[in-house]
Amino acid sequence: MKLLVCVSKTPETTAKIAFTNDNTEFDSSGVQYIMNPYDEWYALVRALELKEAQGGSVTIIHVGPAANDTIIRKGLAIGADEAVRIDAEPPSALYVARQVAEYAKNENFDIVFLGKESIDYNGSEVGPMLAEMLGLPFVSHATRLEMEGNKAMIVADIDGGDAQLEVETPFVISAAKGLAEQRIPNMRGIMMAKRKPLKVVEPVEAEGLAVAVRFELPPEKGDVKLIDPENMDELVRLLHEEAKVI
Amino acid sequence: MAEYVNMDTLRFQLEQVHQLDTLFQYPRYQEYDLEAINIFLDAVKDFSDQELYPVFREMDEKPAYYEDGKIIVHPTVGRTMEKMGELGVIAATFDQENGGLQMPSMALLGAYFIMEAANNHVMGYPGLTDGAAKLITAFGNEYLKEAYVPNMLSGQWAGTMCLTEPQAGSSLSDITTTAYPTDEGYYQVKGQKIFISGGDHEYNENFIHLLLARIEGAPAGTKGISLFVVPKKRIAEDGSLAPNDVITAGDFQKMGQRGYCTTHLVFGENDDCRAWLVGEPHKGLKYMFQMMNDARISVGRGGLSIASAAYHASLQYAKERPQGRRVMDSGKKDPRQEPVLIIEHADVRRMLLLQKVIYEGSLSLLLLASKYHDLEKVTEGEEKQKNRLLLELLTPVAKTYPTEKGREAVDNGLQVLGGYGYCSDFVLQQYLRDIRIMAIYEGTTGIQSLDLLGRKITMDNGKALKLLAQEMQQTIGSALTFDGLKPYAGQLGEKMKLSQKVLDFLLPLAMKGEYERFLSDATVFMDFFSTLVVGWLWLDMAVVAKQELVSGREAYPAEFYESKVHAMRFFFKYELPKMEGLAPTLMSEEVLTILKEKEVIA
Ligand SMILES: Cc1cc2nc3c(=O)[nH]c(=O)nc-3n(C[C@H](O)[C@H](O)[C@H](O)COP(=O)(O)OP(=O)(O)OC[C@H]3O[C@@H](n4cnc5c(N)ncnc54)[C@H](O)[C@@H]3O)c2cc1C
Ligand SMILES: Cc1cc2nc3c(=O)[nH]c(=O)nc-3n(C[C@H](O)[C@H](O)[C@H](O)COP(=O)(O)OP(=O)(O)OC[C@H]3O[C@@H](n4cnc5c(N)ncnc54)[C@H](O)[C@@H]3O)c2cc1C
Repeated sequence: MKLLVCVSKTPETTAKIAFTNDNTEFDSSGVQYIMNPYDEWYALVRALELKEAQGGSVTIIHVGPAANDTIIRKGLAIGADEAVRIDAEPPSALYVARQVAEYAKNENFDIVFLGKESIDYNGSEVGPMLAEMLGLPFVSHATRLEMEGNKAMIVADIDGGDAQLEVETPFVISAAKGLAEQRIPNMRGIMMAKRKPLKVVEPVEAEGLAVAVRFELPPEKGDVKLIDPENMDELVRLLHEEAKVI
Repeated sequence: MAEYVNMDTLRFQLEQVHQLDTLFQYPRYQEYDLEAINIFLDAVKDFSDQELYPVFREMDEKPAYYEDGKIIVHPTVGRTMEKMGELGVIAATFDQENGGLQMPSMALLGAYFIMEAANNHVMGYPGLTDGAAKLITAFGNEYLKEAYVPNMLSGQWAGTMCLTEPQAGSSLSDITTTAYPTDEGYYQVKGQKIFISGGDHEYNENFIHLLLARIEGAPAGTKGISLFVVPKKRIAEDGSLAPNDVITAGDFQKMGQRGYCTTHLVFGENDDCRAWLVGEPHKGLKYMFQMMNDARISVGRGGLSIASAAYHASLQYAKERPQGRRVMDSGKKDPRQEPVLIIEHADVRRMLLLQKVIYEGSLSLLLLASKYHDLEKVTEGEEKQKNRLLLELLTPVAKTYPTEKGREAVDNGLQVLGGYGYCSDFVLQQYLRDIRIMAIYEGTTGIQSLDLLGRKITMDNGKALKLLAQEMQQTIGSALTFDGLKPYAGQLGEKMKLSQKVLDFLLPLAMKGEYERFLSDATVFMDFFSTLVVGWLWLDMAVVAKQELVSGREAYPAEFYESKVHAMRFFFKYELPKMEGLAPTLMSEEVLTILKEKEVIA
């Protein structure tokens, strides 16, 4: 089976999030990046498991500048066979989908994996756009994927329950928690990753249909005020005058 | 999850202070780069978060124990040993031709630091296996290497160090375990070893004991000791494993590190314990000493790791516990104010900063010692000799400072929690119990101090000390280029002079033949000297932080670098001046501890 896994980079989960340039850009100074966990822990590992069981190859693809090669290298260390990087700073989900589609359209992948969402912009947009551009079926939020020949049995997370789906290759699938278990790369894998092929591809022209005008952080939580249980009047007054909830 | 290490601080020290990347120019390490090491360290952190930290307290509460001839340990020991083999932790620093990865030991120290801070009850198992396999690859013949090393590096078999006997701890020349030659190419051994860490349990298929024994008729003293491989199960001709008459007689119950078993082993009770000689006869102690240098650095790292974990635990508590009010400048407190978090009290901040300077200073010391070790392997001639001498000189300090001062740090961490620190609901008491052993095994503080003053300071006519002084002078030179660091450069220079003055007093005692007096306060000298060394390392860290601040590279935020300079100033205010208090003791004409005749002390 020929498998493609789309991987994105996101700020490390404890990174301080701030904006610059009059709140129109994300402030990346001092921020450490990681591979989007849905891509790393679930999409990539399930793809590797399928390859290990049935043979074939796993390619990872990333749209981003050379500075993100560490993320790609980690994917190769975990076990992907080769990598492709589309050399561009992605301004939007549509742009990412366009670039991946352009690369994938002539490669005849059996399955294209994505994470269910990036943990920073949480768009869940790349997958459906990509499937549309490739003219392939799309299954989102998969928590199980079993193959029988070219038929896939999929369990997908839906609000309050599960959906069981069947689809034939080729298709596009987005991975949710449960699809696989995180694999920790080992030192031999990390060293081998350096010798695996990483192809750098120039981006194609793609228009951005939406622009970010402004970002805002959620309002900070205020100080907690402790009120003596004897002093109910004060509590009522504060709820009325300060919190304005009664 | 609670934090136990600061990855930024580790990376700052590895990359910017000790410049790990300068090692990659040597063929031995050329396949490495910082990116690879960083991916590895992240992997190790994930592994520690998932497998090691969550069971850390349970391993203390349900300690290893002995029952029906077996030792029962926490199942984590089995699970993680295999995973650490897979991760490459055990094979990391071995030569490629022996199945290793030729990683710089400095980088591996960083990895062990993370894992050991997460759980110090587990890391001895792979650590000893690494040490035992290294002895075999360094001095054993091809048969021993092929038969044992691959299964050890994969974590399938475990290794141990069997030195101590009931009557022979610090003084190994008194061991009596005996090896009898046979015509079959192996020896038969008979004897008992006590306090053998990781000596037996159900999760490893085989245990490979590296054992010191005397060949029958060997000369007395250290020159008659040989080194043997003694497997728990020997390899039969068809490759299967057969019992080798190694009996597990007990597990010592301890105040700390209770998940790390400490066994009593009996060899050859039924006259059927086969042993294979490693290297040449009678050279065992010499071989073992090469390993002990690594092991001493590992124990120092244990102290460092626990101190780091305790610091982070007490820091978190201090940020959450409200108590009392700050003293206003008028000297009064305002009872109507809400209580403040204890981290706002000056005394609590002092205790936190003390822990920080001890653990980060220890980290720097251990990384530097490892760097000399890595460089010693790949350099030639004078360079090689320089790296070797500096490593030799720093080894006893790197064993002792993180374990002695680390204990003081952990004690302060416990104090930050007040009464809760003393209660088993909180982890600090465990850290304090765990760290206590570190100043004892692999040579007590007393033995390390004798090594420092009696051997390392004087070796090659004091050459190592001269080299170290040159390194310190270089740091002082760099510090003088920053206005803000000038006063501290001056203070370090003064302490170097003080240290010379102390040695000018002590060394003539040795030359006059008053050797016992020369060494009688070796442990006080260790305290004095290690404070100087760590003061130097702090000044060096401050220089690097300043250089990074002006460079505009911003690998870390400005506050990060400023906090390093602040910590250096703390060390120079609170710790470095202690040398002045110790100097008069070291130079005193009073002789109070040397046994003159059979008088009693108390
Ligand atoms: C307003 C705005 C401004 C942005 N500006 C920048 C910027 O300046 N620089 C920058 O780096 N990013 C920027 N991004 C983010 C970048 O464009 C994202 O990669 C893209 O928006 C997808 O994010 P998402 O949350 O929609 O992804 P989702 O659709 O939630 O992601 C689902 C999956 O798509 C795949 N995927 C997502 N991104 C990529 C990728 N780059 N390569 C390969 N596979 C991928 C992964 O498998 C991921 O799990 C910006 C995003 C927005 C919305
Ligand atoms: C938990 C644990 C694990 C251990 N693991 C191992 C292991 O895996 N393998 C192994 O072989 N051993 C192991 N040991 C043994 C350990 O290395 C010894 O306990 C240690 O070296 C001290 O020896 P001892 O206990 O006999 O103390 P002693 O040698 O009796 O020392 C008692 C005191 O006298 C002092 N002293 C002794 N000689 C001198 C001297 N010449 N000058 C000044 N002071 C001196 C010491 O500093 C100490 O304070 C372990 C011990 C423990 C407790």
